[in-house]
Amino acid sequence: MKRQSCFCLFVAVLVGLSLNTLRAQGKEQIELFGYFESQIMGANLQNTNNNYNFIQMYTNKLRVDLKADLADNVTFAANFNYITYHGKTQWDILDFLSPQVRAETPLGIEDFYKLIFNDRHYLDNAYLRITYRGLDLTLGKQQLSLGTGYAWNPTDVFNTKDLLDPTYEQPGHNAMRLDAVLGKIGNLTLLYAPEEGWRDSAKMIQLKTRVSHFDLSLLAVEKTWFFHDYLQFDPQGADFRLIPETRRLWGGSTAGELLGLGLWAEFGYNSMQSSQDFQELVVGGDYTFDNQTYVMWEFYHNTQGRSDFSEYTLNDWMRLLTAEQKSIARDQLYTFIQHPVTDLLRVGFSGIYCLSDGSIALVPALNWSFSDNVEVLAYLNIYAGKEGTVYSPSLGNGGLLRVRVYF
Amino acid sequence: MRKLMVIVFLFLFMCIAVPILSQELDGEAIIQKVSDIINPDSSYGKARMVIITSSGKSRTFVYESWSKNHGEKNLVRYLEPRRVKGQATLMLNHADDIWMFFPRTQRVRKLATHAKKQKMEGSDFSYEDMGSGDAFVQDYTPQRLPDEKKREKMCFKLELLRKPECDTSYSRLIMWVSQDNFVPVVIEYYDDRNRERLQKFLVQSDIQVIQGIPTAKKMVMFNQNDNTKTEMELLEIKYNLSLDDSMFTERELKK
Repeated sequence: MKRQSCFCLFVAVLVGLSLNTLRAQGKEQIELFGYFESQIMGANLQNTNNNYNFIQMYTNKLRVDLKADLADNVTFAANFNYITYHGKTQWDILDFLSPQVRAETPLGIEDFYKLIFNDRHYLDNAYLRITYRGLDLTLGKQQLSLGTGYAWNPTDVFNTKDLLDPTYEQPGHNAMRLDAVLGKIGNLTLLYAPEEGWRDSAKMIQLKTRVSHFDLSLLAVEKTWFFHDYLQFDPQGADFRLIPETRRLWGGSTAGELLGLGLWAEFGYNSMQSSQDFQELVVGGDYTFDNQTYVMWEFYHNTQGRSDFSEYTLNDWMRLLTAEQKSIARDQLYTFIQHPVTDLLRVGFSGIYCLSDGSIALVPALNWSFSDNVEVLAYLNIYAGKEGTVYSPSLGNGGLLRVRVYF
Repeated sequence: MRKLMVIVFLFLFMCIAVPILSQELDGEAIIQKVSDIINPDSSYGKARMVIITSSGKSRTFVYESWSKNHGEKNLVRYLEPRRVKGQATLMLNHADDIWMFFPRTQRVRKLATHAKKQKMEGSDFSYEDMGSGDAFVQDYTPQRLPDEKKREKMCFKLELLRKPECDTSYSRLIMWVSQDNFVPVVIEYYDDRNRERLQKFLVQSDIQVIQGIPTAKKMVMFNQNDNTKTEMELLEIKYNLSLDDSMFTERELKK
């Protein structure tokens, strides 16, 4: 933690000095922009007495971005988020689980299986980018987007996407990143995300190149994976027991075109310090028809997931719902179709089919451009699967309405 | 007296020789000249695009674009509105390779060529209409039809039929090319499957000679299917700039 604070302080001092210098020279160019997002989400939950209870949560988010070109080769960018939560802000995770899984809950700690949404404000990204010839050095909290997959990214050890909204922005990560142009060969990326010690810190090397109409990337990452054991409670930490483990990932991704179809693939082999090694694979494709209809599919395989839903454990579910783990099922298929009904309105339909347990999530959505800087997104999430499956109705059929205003 | 004779001679030459030369141009020669004019060696432009829906609502976008090697490399970056500011598209190899950058997620996506059929930010221009460079020459077989007057200009009329091996969105184009400057005044785009069904048409106007290159500063695409139109106005244009190849890379796309 000390190392992270020192690192942030170092970046802040560097930015402060640069801003002062530029202010003195009269060259400073600062842009201020962002968005306000108001969102309501609801879910119809079935309780233990088989009665339905509709719950809803309202969220307001203000994001303010700052970008300044400090010099010809130096850029500073940051964004600050303030989020308020209203309505049902404490979600009892056990309400979403099948009686068999709930039965695993150790006695006396049932009250800790909760997702609590408290109002929060935080510096999401704040980084300095220094460019020198073919080198880009980025220091500070920054978004790290790895891989070519749309719904899943096996090579991205930093983020987990929300399958109902996979294109939503990801949080910033504290890191030092160096991107180097290697002439016609491609690009090399080196990344170091500091934690308490060298061993805990994430290290990454990635090589990107092009072969014909395909982009290719190879990468190796070492990162400490902070899993929790949700069956053991640590009274000192007032949280479930943390079981950090070193994860080494070797993987690659590609994206291109074959016979007119867009194609991408991503693979990651994960060598684990103490638990079982696992591998993830994504293969996807897309096409746009002449009538503007866009179709996309993506297959996801994760050997960490289980092929029989009766084997899902409380730990599996907790890790999935807290985004510690990408999937608890072995094989899934994501399909998406979208059509622009008018110039301002797009309707889409996603279907996420869990091949391992036969459950399915249906997500009809619409995206409406209300005005130049106001957009409206609405979707329903309808689950159809047996009790205990990944997409069973016990997760709560519901929906979301989001209005976002950009400034 | 000698000066007067020279002027008379030049006038006669223009009246007689130019029409003769024009008559000698076949469809291929005309479309090559059109392609040369609309794809200069390199360029920078800033444009305003206004989408007008069937209900009369409008959406305004402002973007910058850079191109090199006669349209072989293209970079487009949005400046307005705030919703899309920073979003950028890189097209290489005459838009056979396309990447899009989304600033809020810092993600670059490689798109397949079918994405060229998608509407550009919901407008009546597709990416194919905007950045395919030499598509008129490469993807269509031109045939010259009898000359016609269009929008008060004497024009070459061309019919461009899609080559069987090409996968462009239009089965046929009809183009009226100004005999004065080889700028297309009107282009009609016909349906992918029905050669007789007009899908949309482009009208170009306010043609000005900039750095020796005739340039249409106003373009309006009328969509017959959706009853919408998109107006495009060039706010700034510069030709034959010295643009480095590094400008047309994923690294630059993210800036």
